[in-house]
Amino acid sequence: MIKQQFEIPAGYKKWTLGFLAVGILALVLGFFVLGIGKDEHAQTRFWAVLLQNSLFFLMICNSAMFFICATTLAMGSWITTFRRVPEAISSLVPILGILALIVFACIIFGDKYHIYPWLDKNAVATDRVLNYKKGFLNPVFFLVWTIFTLCTWSFVGWKMRQLSRETDERPLSENQARQFTWKNTIWGSVYIVFFALTVGSSIPWLWLMSIDAHWFSTMYSWYTFGSTFVSGIALMGLFVIYLKNQGYLEYTNDEHLHDIGKFIFAFSIFWTYLWFAQFMLIWYANIPEETIYFKARLQGSYRGIFWLNLIVNFVAPILILMTRGSKRNYTIMTFMCVLILLGHWLDFFQMVMPGTVGEHYNLGWYEWGILALFIGLVMHFVGKSLTKSPMVPKYHPFLKESIMHHT
Amino acid sequence: MDIRKFVVGCYDDEEVLFPAVKKVRKAGYKIHDVYTPYAVHGLDKALGLRETRIHTAGFIYGMVGLTTALSFISWILAIDWPLNIGGKPHFALPAWIPIMFELTVLFSAIGMTLTFCYLCQLAPFVKKHHFHPRATDDLFVMVIECTTKTNVQEAQNFLTGTGAKEVNVQLAETGWWLGTYDKDRKIFEVGKEAISA
Amino acid sequence: MSLIKYESFVREPLVDGEKNYHVVTEEIVHTIEAKPTRLWYIGFSIAVILLLLGIYAVYREVTYGITEWNLGRTVGWGWDITNFVWWVGIGHAGTLISAILLLFRQGWRTGVNRAAEAMTIFAVICAGQFPIWHMGRVWLAFFVMPYPNTRGPLWVNFNSPLLWDVFAISTYFTVSLLFWYTGLIPDLATIRDRARTKLRKMLYGIVSFGWSGSTKHWQRHESLALVLAGLSTPLVLSVHTIVSFDFATSVVPGWHTTIFPPYFVAGAIFSGFAMVQTLMVVTRRVMNLQDYITIGHIEAMNKVIVLTGSIVGCAYLTELFIAWYGANIYESDAFFKGRLTGPYSWAYWIMMTCNVAAPQLFWFKKLRRNIEFTFIMSIIVNIGMWFERFVIIVLSIFRDYLPSSWSMYYAASIYEVGFFMGSLGLFFTAYFLFSKYFPVIAIHEIKHVLKTSGESYKARMGKIESEDMEQFYHEIHEAEHH
Repeated sequence: MIKQQFEIPAGYKKWTLGFLAVGILALVLGFFVLGIGKDEHAQTRFWAVLLQNSLFFLMICNSAMFFICATTLAMGSWITTFRRVPEAISSLVPILGILALIVFACIIFGDKYHIYPWLDKNAVATDRVLNYKKGFLNPVFFLVWTIFTLCTWSFVGWKMRQLSRETDERPLSENQARQFTWKNTIWGSVYIVFFALTVGSSIPWLWLMSIDAHWFSTMYSWYTFGSTFVSGIALMGLFVIYLKNQGYLEYTNDEHLHDIGKFIFAFSIFWTYLWFAQFMLIWYANIPEETIYFKARLQGSYRGIFWLNLIVNFVAPILILMTRGSKRNYTIMTFMCVLILLGHWLDFFQMVMPGTVGEHYNLGWYEWGILALFIGLVMHFVGKSLTKSPMVPKYHPFLKESIMHHT
Repeated sequence: MDIRKFVVGCYDDEEVLFPAVKKVRKAGYKIHDVYTPYAVHGLDKALGLRETRIHTAGFIYGMVGLTTALSFISWILAIDWPLNIGGKPHFALPAWIPIMFELTVLFSAIGMTLTFCYLCQLAPFVKKHHFHPRATDDLFVMVIECTTKTNVQEAQNFLTGTGAKEVNVQLAETGWWLGTYDKDRKIFEVGKEAISA
Repeated sequence: MSLIKYESFVREPLVDGEKNYHVVTEEIVHTIEAKPTRLWYIGFSIAVILLLLGIYAVYREVTYGITEWNLGRTVGWGWDITNFVWWVGIGHAGTLISAILLLFRQGWRTGVNRAAEAMTIFAVICAGQFPIWHMGRVWLAFFVMPYPNTRGPLWVNFNSPLLWDVFAISTYFTVSLLFWYTGLIPDLATIRDRARTKLRKMLYGIVSFGWSGSTKHWQRHESLALVLAGLSTPLVLSVHTIVSFDFATSVVPGWHTTIFPPYFVAGAIFSGFAMVQTLMVVTRRVMNLQDYITIGHIEAMNKVIVLTGSIVGCAYLTELFIAWYGANIYESDAFFKGRLTGPYSWAYWIMMTCNVAAPQLFWFKKLRRNIEFTFIMSIIVNIGMWFERFVIIVLSIFRDYLPSSWSMYYAASIYEVGFFMGSLGLFFTAYFLFSKYFPVIAIHEIKHVLKTSGESYKARMGKIESEDMEQFYHEIHEAEHH
């Protein structure tokens, strides 16, 4: 019999609590040892790690909604059997958004100019470039645009999830089904357009690129999108596999897993493509104001992470996920999903750290502890969100197509 | 030159074809081949055909292309005639990646296509025996190879029983030969002994 | 394999009308077997005349040298490279439709992929003309190939994006050709087997390679198509990426920007779809193929146009923003004084209007499904994309770092224009010949989707549609295992 309603298993609860406990411990300890210490470097470390994690997890959860909207617009039916999973993941956007906002507020109102150099009023007054950019890089615009963005993501995402719930109760008549598809298309487009204006352009400039406030790259936002999108798919794949193993999602089978694997494979290559284009063009033109970004990453203590980033996020998926068999293998897919998530977490690490903590970075108890905190949060809230609706949108007009989906 | 006798059954619907394939195989007849106007998914499995490994060949060709590109370029620019180009190192790997990629794809695509043509005996001026002209139009043509034990009449009746719309017996050459399609070739003069066999 | 053929009723049929396999063959092959219409002859003649014009223009250029073109001190790349990039861009849609949409399982690709692929090949041929004839001493064109020679051997420069282009374009051409032709083989066999004249039987017999339709061959054919699609997907990205490298690796303000690769690819898809749209709207009417290239197909392509147009728009704005944000005076001057304002600003604003503003009208379903509007829009986008390349190339180099060498107003000479016209002639000549002698729609692929997406078959799916989900699931399950 198909289990329709998700109930959080005891083991899941135990692990969630474990992660949360470790995470909260690390946060509290970090706050006292690093956050309010005298050492500025330690303070910066405290906030930089929080910034890295909150943004990474916020953006990958948000990309789950992007995935739903993109497939909706493309009339992709195959995700219907498991679409509740990305829906549940996307429901974290408001929660993680608030967390990110708290981190931003602390950084901005605490004048943490080691994180964002443009917060330093003296520097803005004397530094020609920072002064020039102050129309864009200033606390007011930053906060207003961030809050507006988070609200819109949350609202449209909520709207899409609400729409999806309409297919739970009763069969839709032909007209209703067409109406349903139409409404989905409208809200999906609204989301995608707004997504392009935020994730596709302005948001990564503000949140991440402004860490290296002198530096710029037109590719940056699309690169960030590539990174978070592929991790978002990996996170979704992880939950789908877990739920399958727990006996849920009976309609979802190897064919769907295979396609998730294809997405991970394809978008890993896409990410690499963007990585290469950005890197090669800067390397080739060799203009100092641009190469400075890679100098810090290629020639200093980040060297190892820089190359590891490529190996984990490009070499591994392209070799391991190339064959048909591996994309249909639960163990390999689980491994790859975890690897990709870790890999792009590391990618975010090397995006944030060189510009904030500089040469002497740590990858110690605090970093892993905060990672555990966010894993715990994601597990907790996704689990809770999954219990709130049936696992399968029973009367979705595309469900039958999705059931008989063949790769 | 190999001439054999075949019983041919033509179906006009894949929903009839699939059960028919199953029944014919169960009855112990040897299906020579089924000719279809488009790629009917699952028919290969129904006929018990092995998965094709042509994509593995493609992977190998690609690797050959990649190796060729990398070794050729690095030999030229780092060993045979090192030049200072824009102050870049002689071994300027990032600048070679585009060509390395292109040659990987080129080798793989050409190699695979040639392998495909070789395996399926496809080339200009190649001619084969076609059991029914409508096999490329709207008929699914099942061809049963007769052995010495086969009762031809019985086989024909059996095919009709499985829903074949048209049934006949044909003598045919199994391989390919050079020729054009506007000219017929009388294969029977060459292989009269085969017919009697 | 399940024998249950089903597709949601929400989806529009891909093949209209009451059809069976034979009717599909009949209707698509008909145009090849019948005599061409008057319209075809007229169109073909115009194309050939344009082609001859182009040949004359090229003859002038080869005999009298590059000075026949109005290239000057700073504008060393003018119409020629603009046309090159424009054509390469157009040559992206075919492979995109065939490969990426195949991988993304967009069923509607079956109606248009064959013609789009053919168009791709012709467009790449046209594109190749420009850099080749631009070499000046074209008889030495083979110098671009890396071969052992008596000049040292002095090798080509593998670090140069221009050489990457040589490899990219030739690989792309070869792979597209293979992809297109392997797909054609079964359809050519279909024509061969129903040919009534001897000549046709012979010719289609030769080009169909002795295809028989054997199950094993189909199995390999499918696998080949899938892998070639998988290879073409990154390939199609790489080609326009490498074209963008021609500009972006340099340190010219307006050229050196990291977003160029994906933005060029999006632009290529955008212009490619516009050209496909131009051709399809005409083809379906002239050849009476409205049942196969339906309004649904047109609408789907219009959706791709509005999507890619918006991506391109996003990239334009990103460029503008970073031109300001980068705090580099040369970069910002190139944009704010050389494009938004300045002597060539009209080109910039034509580009913005045609590429970003105009396609937004496709947000309206009514307009997406309007044939005449689609046709006009496709032309507008084609023009806009030509201007995009013109803006990128000419507007970035007409002023260099030395104001004393700032060029006079660059305008193409009659031979530059003639060459461009000639490439249009070449393209349409090839397309007219293709539409006469080859099946413009992939027959075997239409047959493949006919019983799931054909209008008359979908009409009979009511029973499955109303079936309970559990029961449906079990039926599928049963069918899979037997």
